[in-house]
Amino acid sequence: MSSVLDVVLSSAFLAAVLRVATPYLLAAFGGLVAERAGISNIALEGQMLAAACTGALVAGYSGSVALGALGGLTVATLLGLLLAALRLELGADAIIAGIGLNLLASGATAYAVYTLLDDKGGTSGLRSGTLPTVPLPGIESVPVLGDALSGQNLVTWLAFLAAPFVAWLFYRTRFGFHLRAVGEKPDAAASVGIPVRRVQYAGLALSGALAGLAGVFLSMGHVSFFVRDMTAGRGFIALAAVFLGGLRPWGVFLAALGFGAAEALAVQLGTLDVPPQLVSTIPYAMTLLALALYAWRRKRRGTGEPVPASL
Amino acid sequence: MTSTLVETEDRREYRETRRRGLAVDLGTTLATVLAALVIGFLVILATGKDPVRAYEALLTGPLERSFRVGRWLEDATTLTLLGLSVAIPFRARQISLGAESQLYAGALAAATVAIFLPLPSVAAVVVPLVAAAAAGAGMGFVPGAMKARLGANEIVATLMLNAIVVRVYDYLVNGPLKQPGSTAVHSERIQPDSALTPLTDWLGIPFGRANIGLGLMLLTAVALWLLLTRTPLGYRIRMTGANPDFAEYGGIRVPRAIEWSFVIGGAVAGLAGAHLVQGVYGRLEPGLAGSLAFEGIVVALLARNNPLVVVIAGLFYSYLRAGGDIMEQQTDVGTEIVVVIQAVIVLLVTAQALPDLLKRRITRRQVARKQGARKQVGAR
Repeated sequence: MSSVLDVVLSSAFLAAVLRVATPYLLAAFGGLVAERAGISNIALEGQMLAAACTGALVAGYSGSVALGALGGLTVATLLGLLLAALRLELGADAIIAGIGLNLLASGATAYAVYTLLDDKGGTSGLRSGTLPTVPLPGIESVPVLGDALSGQNLVTWLAFLAAPFVAWLFYRTRFGFHLRAVGEKPDAAASVGIPVRRVQYAGLALSGALAGLAGVFLSMGHVSFFVRDMTAGRGFIALAAVFLGGLRPWGVFLAALGFGAAEALAVQLGTLDVPPQLVSTIPYAMTLLALALYAWRRKRRGTGEPVPASL
Repeated sequence: MTSTLVETEDRREYRETRRRGLAVDLGTTLATVLAALVIGFLVILATGKDPVRAYEALLTGPLERSFRVGRWLEDATTLTLLGLSVAIPFRARQISLGAESQLYAGALAAATVAIFLPLPSVAAVVVPLVAAAAAGAGMGFVPGAMKARLGANEIVATLMLNAIVVRVYDYLVNGPLKQPGSTAVHSERIQPDSALTPLTDWLGIPFGRANIGLGLMLLTAVALWLLLTRTPLGYRIRMTGANPDFAEYGGIRVPRAIEWSFVIGGAVAGLAGAHLVQGVYGRLEPGLAGSLAFEGIVVALLARNNPLVVVIAGLFYSYLRAGGDIMEQQTDVGTEIVVVIQAVIVLLVTAQALPDLLKRRITRRQVARKQGARKQVGAR
């Protein structure tokens, strides 16, 4: 047991938590924005995947990491807009359209990589580079935290800044107010003159962009290649974090961080005598329990909390 | 008892609308598939490959040799069962994404019984199947009850269960159930008596791993169709999906219907797991189902959740999957294009507005004509 504590208290572990939590945080905030706008974005997974693939390919062929990241973000944003268009213009069910977009991303990325590079696995043959880390002067001297914080990637910093950003957006800006109004009661919002569709399009674009940043981090953060289906269900986990966090920015932040910590722990424990697969089920089991508790509480109290769009 | 004129007319009208609805459904489905195939064709063309040669391999390849037919039928059996498993909760308008967890639970149950429990001949086949269905049903019950009794979001619940069960499965195959002394990761083989008889043994034609699970799948589809259309429970499930408020008002216990739809769907997904163990692989392997569970959703959607149509959709999808593999062997076009085609189908199917708009216009015109006729009758 003491060895487990040693692992958990080390700065290497803390650094790992920050690294692993980054895509969860970004994608979860993407999911949160969409959910509060009234359209469930179950396509987070596909948006991440498309961004990861586009990022690595563009960066590899152009030689510019920035261009790659931009390409990835653009594609994910467009996928967010596409989901909104399918929902709003063609009356599609958001969940089913999201499943379709996930399939599309999975198939199209694998097809693109195979067609361009003749490689089934990914883009490891392409030199695409990584996004820069941010050196903060003097931070190494802070005990414990210093080592964990020093070598972190730019995107990790952005992921942690996303929490106050989304909170500010939701509760301190006109747009955020409109977004929440649209998500909760679109008819009421429309009746007071809020442009419902435009707000939803903007929300889904932002949602896609955040998921895209998560995807770009996967293929350009610590590794410099795209692997087929490299998101490995992270988009769905992020979606769970949205609900587990009670559809509120800081709640979602804690939930996503928790998922990251649990996964980092599972990886670290792999070296010890605990089956890592079982450790890694803990956050999901917790989510399931929390979901039941949350629903039970809401049922007893009646409504009054924001109801997820997909219920 | 003779029926009145109004009754006969009503009935005739109802039949006619139904027939027309079916024709429109069939037409849109075919148009959807065709449109998706055309888009796939254009994508291949745009990426600088030869689409004609690719589509030739894709569309004729699976029938060229008997073992390819077997590969297709074997895949179709699993895929159709998975499609059926989501079609039932979908009919109750429950978005259950839990086929993956139910399949793995079923596979584990079937394998555990088929490996460790010595049984007489017929029981050796049947008991693992029953165990798999029970395990799948149990795995369906959890999110079903959470939704029905607490109103918990079934999408999140099923996704979480998937994540948990897949990891537990991975642990068991790598740990307690791993064949001792083997370097490769898989369980021991099931007892020979528990295997679903290969079609090859029956027909004398080499059909690969295709087995009598195919018949089981067809029976399941018919049974589910009968359940939905001919039993009170099926009626409750359909009413719940069509309009839960109205169903509740009409005295249907909606939560019960929801729960049952999950349990039945789970049992069928469990059977899909048993088919993989007892019919296809003969043991547990890591990542047994691949992406099949999610593709089952596609099949159900394309078939508009009608069990009998699910069979056709499943056969069609598996045909594309099998053809995609052959296309990749024979040409330089990757099999992934099939996934793109599938995705386009899903998006077109769910983009309801266009065909619905058309349908509504047609019915409106007909209603207008009927009303005109009625008025004339009344005037006389």
